Formats: sequence, structure tokens, C-alpha cells
Amino acid sequence: MERILGRENTGWMLIGAAALVLIACAMVVVAFGMESVAPGVHDAFHDFRHVIGMPCH
Amino acid sequence: MSLTFGFKDGIMAGAVGGVLWGLVSMAVNSATGVFTPEAGLVHDTVSFALGGVLFGAVAGGFLGAGGRAIPFRNVYARAVFTSTLVWMLLRVGGAMLSAIEPERYHVLTPETVQGLLLSALLGAMVAGVWSFWKGTAGENGNTLKA
Repeated sequence: MERILGRENTGWMLIGAAALVLIACAMVVVAFGMESVAPGVHDAFHDFRHVIGMPCH
Repeated sequence: MSLTFGFKDGIMAGAVGGVLWGLVSMAVNSATGVFTPEAGLVHDTVSFALGGVLFGAVAGGFLGAGGRAIPFRNVYARAVFTSTLVWMLLRVGGAMLSAIEPERYHVLTPETVQGLLLSALLGAMVAGVWSFWKGTAGENGNTLKA
């Protein structure tokens, strides 16, 4: 079923957009292994980062 | 002008496709031997699945929300374009980090090429899940079925 942009859907769209932004931020943290943001993320996703071609040590 | 946004469906289809893509990526890397894994199989299975969820959800979310901003009418072409674009943006960020901190971030061409091809594969897999779930019909360049 198509959802047309309107007042009744704006709230859900904002929630969806916020969720997408949060997931995108998490993706960036994982992709670059930002230890300062999430301790342990570098080691946890080290192999994944190399396999998808992101720069690492 | 009416706009149809499929945030939720895009994220869901992307997450499912992303899990599959993560596991396939691990298998592809084993076949190519581009990078020798340093962690165990169980650890990598979990991390690749989780990483795949994130990448797939982002690609699927933008695919669902993209509307006319994404060229092409075919959902596979749209998904491959979106996922490759996301990967390229990250890769540009990685290149900048490498330029700033070269001793910390090393760029390896074989891994980069593999990553680019895998990002295209991610798009294909997300579109596959999307098509399986929603069907390829229903997009007109402005809207995607939500």
C-alpha cells in the first residue's frame, strides 16, 4: 500500500528518517572503527572492515 | 506533488539483504584470499552479519527514501547505484582519514576493488529481497511501493 506524504504520515516519516540517520552513524562508526565513539568496535569489526575495502592498519 | 517514502520497508529489506550479504562477503573473501582473517569463524560470522545489517539497512533506507533523487527505474539498478554510492562516500572519508593519519589508516588496492564489487553485490541482494517482498512493479521514478 502506498503511503502519501501528508500531515498524518509526517510523524512516522520523521521517526523513519531519525532511525536511518542513527543507523548511518552506526555504519560510519563501524566502517572507520571509531574507538573513541564505541570502545571495542575496531577489533570487533576489523576483518569486516578490511574485506569491504575500508582503510585500516 | 505526492511523494512516497518507504523508510521502514527499505530499512527492513536492506537489513535482511545485508545479513545475507555479510555472510556472502565472508565467503567471497575466503575464495579470493584478498584479506586473511585474523579472528575466528564464529566471531567473523557475527561481525559480518551485524556489519551487513548496518550497511544493508542504510542502503535500503536510502533506496526507499530516494524517490527521484535516484536515477534508473529498475529496482536492481537503483539499489546497486545507492549501495555503491554509500560505499564510495565512506571510501572517500577513509581516504581523507588515510591522508590525515597515514600510519593508522592504510589503503590497499585489492581490498578496495573487492569492496567496490561487494558494495554492488549488496545492492543486488537488497533489491532481490525487495523484489521478493514487494515485487519490481510499483515504481515510477518518483515513488516506490511502501
